[in-house]
Amino acid sequence: MFQRLIAFFLLSLMLLPLVSADRDTSSWNQENSPVWEYDFGTGYISTSPVFVDDKIIVRTSGNSEPSVTALELDGTMAWKHANLLSKNNDMSPVLPVNAGEGICGTWPDLLLVGWTNGVIDALYPSNGSVYWSTQTEVAGWGITGAAIVSEDHVIFPTRRGVGQFCLADGSQEWWAETGLGWRNGVSLYDGSIFSGDELGTLWQIDSSGNATSLATFDGKIRHGPLMTQAGLLVHVQSSLSSTVYILDPVSGEERQQIPAGPSPAMPVLNGQYAVVADSMNLQMMKCSVACTVVSQMPFHTNGEIGWHNESHLIAPHNTPDSDWGSFVFDGDQNLTLELIDTGITGYGTAAPLWFSSNGVNYTVFGNDQSLLRVYQSNYREEVEVTKDIDWVTQGFVFAAYVLLASSAVFFLNGKKELFLRTSSLLLVLILLLILPELSQVWSEAVDQALPESSTSEVWDEQWPDSWLGTQIVIFEIDGEETAVGGFVGYENVFDVTKAAADEVGFSLSVEQTGIGMYISSIDGVEGDGWEYDLDGSKGRLSADNTEIESTSIVRWTPV
Amino acid sequence: MFEAMGVHGPTLSPFASLVLDIALLASAFWLLAKPTKRPIMDSLFLATLVLSVSFLRVVMQPLPNVQPVTVAALLVGAQLGARRGAAFAVLVAMISNFFMGDGWWTVFQAVGWASVAVAGSQLTLITPSGLNLRKAIFASLAAAIWFDLIVSFSILDGTIGFTDFITYLIHGIPFDLLHMASNLVFVVWLGSWFSGLLEEQPTLEEIEFAVVNGHGIDG
Repeated sequence: MFQRLIAFFLLSLMLLPLVSADRDTSSWNQENSPVWEYDFGTGYISTSPVFVDDKIIVRTSGNSEPSVTALELDGTMAWKHANLLSKNNDMSPVLPVNAGEGICGTWPDLLLVGWTNGVIDALYPSNGSVYWSTQTEVAGWGITGAAIVSEDHVIFPTRRGVGQFCLADGSQEWWAETGLGWRNGVSLYDGSIFSGDELGTLWQIDSSGNATSLATFDGKIRHGPLMTQAGLLVHVQSSLSSTVYILDPVSGEERQQIPAGPSPAMPVLNGQYAVVADSMNLQMMKCSVACTVVSQMPFHTNGEIGWHNESHLIAPHNTPDSDWGSFVFDGDQNLTLELIDTGITGYGTAAPLWFSSNGVNYTVFGNDQSLLRVYQSNYREEVEVTKDIDWVTQGFVFAAYVLLASSAVFFLNGKKELFLRTSSLLLVLILLLILPELSQVWSEAVDQALPESSTSEVWDEQWPDSWLGTQIVIFEIDGEETAVGGFVGYENVFDVTKAAADEVGFSLSVEQTGIGMYISSIDGVEGDGWEYDLDGSKGRLSADNTEIESTSIVRWTPV
Repeated sequence: MFEAMGVHGPTLSPFASLVLDIALLASAFWLLAKPTKRPIMDSLFLATLVLSVSFLRVVMQPLPNVQPVTVAALLVGAQLGARRGAAFAVLVAMISNFFMGDGWWTVFQAVGWASVAVAGSQLTLITPSGLNLRKAIFASLAAAIWFDLIVSFSILDGTIGFTDFITYLIHGIPFDLLHMASNLVFVVWLGSWFSGLLEEQPTLEEIEFAVVNGHGIDG
């Protein structure tokens, strides 16, 4: 009897994949169908596309040509505006502005684009030509955060401050020095502008450009603060965790602290409900007199979160083989998560775009592989979508099924040695399949649970000041160090290493292994392989599986 | 855990590597040379065994921390004794690392597998009826942990503190589990066959000697 129960359990395990297969038939996937896909080549789509003038406007950067591209609804390119001088990861959202007039003049419909080389371009949405362009300060990088429009001017966060510019001609009206910022969007409430920086200072800037420190936290502020009914919401990122603070917007006095996980996403607000997220959870808060967490779901997201409507939001799952998280909120305390298979997998931090055209609802997804996929709702026509099949993994899974069934049969028949053989092989197979994810999750858990290493990479006084507060990569080749810095926004060791190698003209040989990317040679030097130190500590995972901070220093040495 | 993470301890100069290789080779010869001179067939068999297992290790390299050598060392130690088991371990570590990457860690791998072989020789894994599978399974699981621990010491290059080392060990637990699981597979699938292969068959000379001693010469 006992043997039969065990066998039943083993056979039941075979049904588990059918449960996970539910993701392919999620209600969202049933209601939406892919229309077309656009591959921008290499690089990233780090911020949500926008829909303007019947075109989908997509910002791409990274290794590909930094550009803003307009695509027609059928997927053909309408125009492209490139900025080859913007060498870092552009992630400042493209800001559409309606035509208008003010004290400083009149302006047509515009697309405002802030670049990491400090340039602000105002483009015509119809053809991408430049209406005006202006240069802001650059210190390692320029603009990475979200801008806002206020009356006849636009307010942009720059590298070390916040500036206000006339919408009619781009002239700077004032610029207020704050602190070193990254993805430090600005927000505006009751005539006051709020912005945070990398040292954890929350700045308040008045309409004349006078900046004062409203509050200081132990961490980094990488989003535009949100004004909730309970106070100003700021999500502060520290090394292993983060904290959501609710503040008095006038005095900066702390009203609430809510603990959260590492690497927070940018919080969003819809009426009384605020959503914060990080590498561990997505939390829905109701903010009236105070902010209360009404629901929480385990989910890994680190960038933008998209509110679709009051009850629906979608966030990118920022993992290598990600699906997207579709969260439905019932308005009470129930948040349900459904994974969406968008057909484009990989890291992602850009929120999706929703829009309607000619009565058809569209959803657009972009990710760090520079892939853009457009979906239509209630679109029934058969659309051929190519789907890559990982035959090796499929083979492993098939073998696992066979072994599982064999184990059950042998167990039932009392053939212990054969049962031991098949079940042990099954165990190895499963471990091999899950090892990359398992080791990554395990290492993250260990890093959080154990104290950080006391070692650290030392700042070299010979490095330019513009590298301060940026990501730096050092290559040790034949006893000589080649350091290159000023990188911003790279999220793992591999990406920043590739960018650094590109900048100094080093070739990289990379092998994809079961546990991640392995760099076998740098600038033609192979040795017995290469290893890296991150901020003075030995790398413990493959380069692409190791997340980095905005000020990380990576050192590569031959073995 | 060590291979999977790509941490390798101090880098050796070419001269230091040469000295290390000579020392390892010398230790292997010393282990094989005593206490008695081996018949040529015996040496050829061991050489074939070393080459085969080294080749197996090289071809299984893509599978992280799947180490066929650990079980092989355990069983060689159990069947052929501590000396030949340790020599086998040292030679396999050297030859396979010639293809997979030689360095400071080779010493720790050689020591790790040699100690597994010595343990195998002391655990009475072989009974008159063949391999004691239950005992061999537990020994192979323990050997995986022991070997990974020994090899982990190779990262201690003076810059890593105790806490970092412990953290490093804990990080490697998933890889240790895979090593244990793969050892289990090797033992249950190949253990009996491999130990049978290693079983020493008496030579004609030995049979004759035994017959003469046991029964005398008639007539």
